[in-house]
Amino acid sequence: MGMAEEIVTTQSYEKLCSDVLYSNESVRFVGLVNNKSDLLHSVQKKDLDPLLDDDEIKISINYSLERWRKAQNLSFRLGHEKLTLTEYEHVTLISIPYDGKLLLISTQPTIHYHEMIQAIISVIPPWEN
Amino acid sequence: MENATVSYVQLLREDLAIFRVVPEGPFPEYKAGQFLTLGLPVKSENNRVISRAYSIASHPENKKYIEFVIRWVRKPYPGRLTTAMFNLKEGDKIQWRKANGTLTINDKLPNGEPDKRRIVCIGGGTGLAPFVSFAQHLHDVGDKRELVVLHGASYVDELSYRERLTDLELESIDRGADKWNFKYRAAISRPQEWLNRSWTGQVGRVEQFLRARPGQISPLEELVGEKITQENTMFYICGWQGTIDGTLDFLGNKEFVTERNKREDGSYEVKFESYG
Repeated sequence: MGMAEEIVTTQSYEKLCSDVLYSNESVRFVGLVNNKSDLLHSVQKKDLDPLLDDDEIKISINYSLERWRKAQNLSFRLGHEKLTLTEYEHVTLISIPYDGKLLLISTQPTIHYHEMIQAIISVIPPWEN
Repeated sequence: MENATVSYVQLLREDLAIFRVVPEGPFPEYKAGQFLTLGLPVKSENNRVISRAYSIASHPENKKYIEFVIRWVRKPYPGRLTTAMFNLKEGDKIQWRKANGTLTINDKLPNGEPDKRRIVCIGGGTGLAPFVSFAQHLHDVGDKRELVVLHGASYVDELSYRERLTDLELESIDRGADKWNFKYRAAISRPQEWLNRSWTGQVGRVEQFLRARPGQISPLEELVGEKITQENTMFYICGWQGTIDGTLDFLGNKEFVTERNKREDGSYEVKFESYG
């Protein structure tokens, strides 16, 4: 990847994460990881107490990637994974495959998932699956 | 095909396992580094027997079983045979066909003299299997040549024979290199991943062992304590095509020659086998 292309790509990651973060008031954090666990970019709302420390964030990313990789093993029958949602007591974690990467989103616990997910998906640009 | 019984299954991770099979009838003859063709009836193929060659990880002196380390192929579609193999239980039957393959140890040079060069084995993923066979064979026959086994994997839990090969190296240290001269090192290609957080060894692809950083010698040369040349080292490589290409790219630049492109006098310094 050339430097100019890299800058454009980084800018697009920043915009994507920012757009998702502000797509719905419940979204707390957005990160984009590649399939090697590299956190390419992340953003979070200000004035929120973090639920995980740095090591726990690495564990959480690892679990999300592991689950995503394993889910792909059945995609030849089930089709490509589009979204996974895990509801905890204190937070809801959403992961969305995006262009060979994984978009990781955490939100406040909410019952209005459909509305929130529609808002998130509406700001994610289309890509070749 | 001949019949055998599965005597041992050890799942190392979801997609990686060690299998041992005990043939019925006479134990098959084979050389270290060769492969055996295994076959199973596959339900989705109307119970037609699907077969595929797998490198043998055990050594010819072991007449109790034949061992394999096999990855469950899952992409883009689950492999028919490996899916069936990962459903096997100890006591199940399996079929086999005689050993074959040319990735065997050269004991002599083209002029008939003994090949006393150091042996460096480079295995990517399950491409380590023939070199586990090499190590155990050379150990059991008391071969005095220096043997270096280099293994490349993405994750630490894919270092399938780390314990056995480490034990062989410790024995080499205990007994002295004049009696058993063995070294084992591994490289992890995804050191930043959480699962690999405790890894302190070589990072990157396994062929990185051959590459010197500016102003420095290569990790392999540091390990063996001298410059690697055609005169003192013979390379054996097994793995995916990317591992073969990456290693040959480096060795070719140093004017090492492969068996498939040997010189007029029959000499060469690299043998390789690709599985993919």
